[in-house]
Amino acid sequence: MRNFITLLVKEEKAIFSSPIAFAIVAVYLLLIGYTFTLMLFLNRTAELVRVFFQAAVLFLLIIPVITMRLLAEERRSGTLEILLTSPVREIEIILAKFAASLTLVGLMLALTASDAIVLGVYADPDWGPIYSGFLGLFLLAAALAAIGLAVSGLTSNQIVAAVVAMGVGILLWMIDSIGYLLPDPFDTVVTNLSLVAHFTPFATGAVFLSDLGFFLTVILVCLLLSMRTLARR
Amino acid sequence: MSAVVVAEELTKRYGPRLAVDHVSFAVGAGEIMGLLGPNGSGKTTILRIFTGYLRPSSGTARIADHDVVDDPLAARRRVGYVPEDAPLYPGMGVREFLIFMGRVKGLTSTSLTAAVDAATERLRLGPLRTAQIGRLSRGYRQRVAIAQALLGDPALLILDEPTNGLDPRQIIEMRELIRALGGERTIIVTSHILGEIERVADRVAILLAGQLLGIHAVRASREGGRIRLCVRGDEERVRMCLSRVPGVTAVAVDDQRQTPAPTYLVDTQHASLAESVAQAVIVGGFGLLSMESAPVDLEALFLQLTGGRTESGK
Repeated sequence: MRNFITLLVKEEKAIFSSPIAFAIVAVYLLLIGYTFTLMLFLNRTAELVRVFFQAAVLFLLIIPVITMRLLAEERRSGTLEILLTSPVREIEIILAKFAASLTLVGLMLALTASDAIVLGVYADPDWGPIYSGFLGLFLLAAALAAIGLAVSGLTSNQIVAAVVAMGVGILLWMIDSIGYLLPDPFDTVVTNLSLVAHFTPFATGAVFLSDLGFFLTVILVCLLLSMRTLARR
Repeated sequence: MSAVVVAEELTKRYGPRLAVDHVSFAVGAGEIMGLLGPNGSGKTTILRIFTGYLRPSSGTARIADHDVVDDPLAARRRVGYVPEDAPLYPGMGVREFLIFMGRVKGLTSTSLTAAVDAATERLRLGPLRTAQIGRLSRGYRQRVAIAQALLGDPALLILDEPTNGLDPRQIIEMRELIRALGGERTIIVTSHILGEIERVADRVAILLAGQLLGIHAVRASREGGRIRLCVRGDEERVRMCLSRVPGVTAVAVDDQRQTPAPTYLVDTQHASLAESVAQAVIVGGFGLLSMESAPVDLEALFLQLTGGRTESGK
């Protein structure tokens, strides 16, 4: 546990000492604020469904940029060798990097919560879908971060890591479309791999254990894959 | 001397290529072992197996009786490692990095501060403790890398090409530092530069294409001496007579020379034993035809062991 905290602090410092983190948060807030304002004035309803979907799409593009350096940079600079030859477990390294990337995501979600506060002050929103939407966004972000981490472990090039992670995320987001073209039972399997299919219920106020289980499974599998990328040596 | 490092039939295979081919050796406590070989001879692969970065395909590697595969964390706790080119976090300060590495190595509060201060002082990094690593010169980055390796007082220090990229003055300082650290702890140091390894190591293992060609005691020859004698008399009796001289460590016949009588190579503990050797030959009733000092030439030994082979055209 002590090693995990030491590594986490190091990762947090690396993330927040980089201008990338601030650029990402600024651009994210600008785009989310724009969407929120637009939806508020166009629809005049106290809900955040559109904001949640907008945030989800932004996460597909932003999170790979956060995770691209996590392992790729250490591999390129050779510091991974210093880490892996120290008396720390591979799982501690992976969990620290994963948790550090979630901190930035958590910060973005916390700042997005200001939209909900505005609704609460000036209207009487249905809080259920808002809570479930934030939970869904957090799970989606965690799944994308885990995918990004696993991809980052496969290469020493950060740009390649970002582009591939983005590709995997976007493909999983819209993979349900191809499900309609496939015969039974492949259509069900492919549709169930879709991020949007599991995110939509959260965004609209329905929490199913199956959706929760899906995101947790994606996270677990990707973290295990990340560990495998460290072990392949 | 108890062995801190033991390699038994160590093998590493990358697909069809054998990077390390059944290598066995042991390094005692306080000893400096040099791994010498051209680029691609398997030196770094052997080091990486000992540090736990690579897994051996077969064979065993143990550090202070801890197997690097079966008991990796315990083995790694006993190793301080400086990889080639000293990779460090460029955005960290020197002290910040040393504290981070100390924590990773399990040091806490007072022992951590004491270890970081001691390493900083030892490597003369005091004035640079707040400097950002990315702004340091190559020589100072190397010192920071060695300082982190010393944290936790490891039994074994592994230095991969520590003089790479250093200027002549830094090379001399690094050499002195390695010699000073030897004796306190076991050190394995690699180099593809023969002169470097000859100056710092007690023993040198010569590698080529993943194979261990031989291990040579450099310190013994540095501190001791080698005498070449041409002696007339029964070969067996001459050898017996020479080996009985106190301080003589080895006697061998040199077949390379065309001389009227057999030529013997006598290794001694001290260079000053030449007189005793000559006296023993004369008192023994043999004919001493010639006698000269014959220092061990590591370069000649390397060429002799490698037999003119190269990596590409072995």
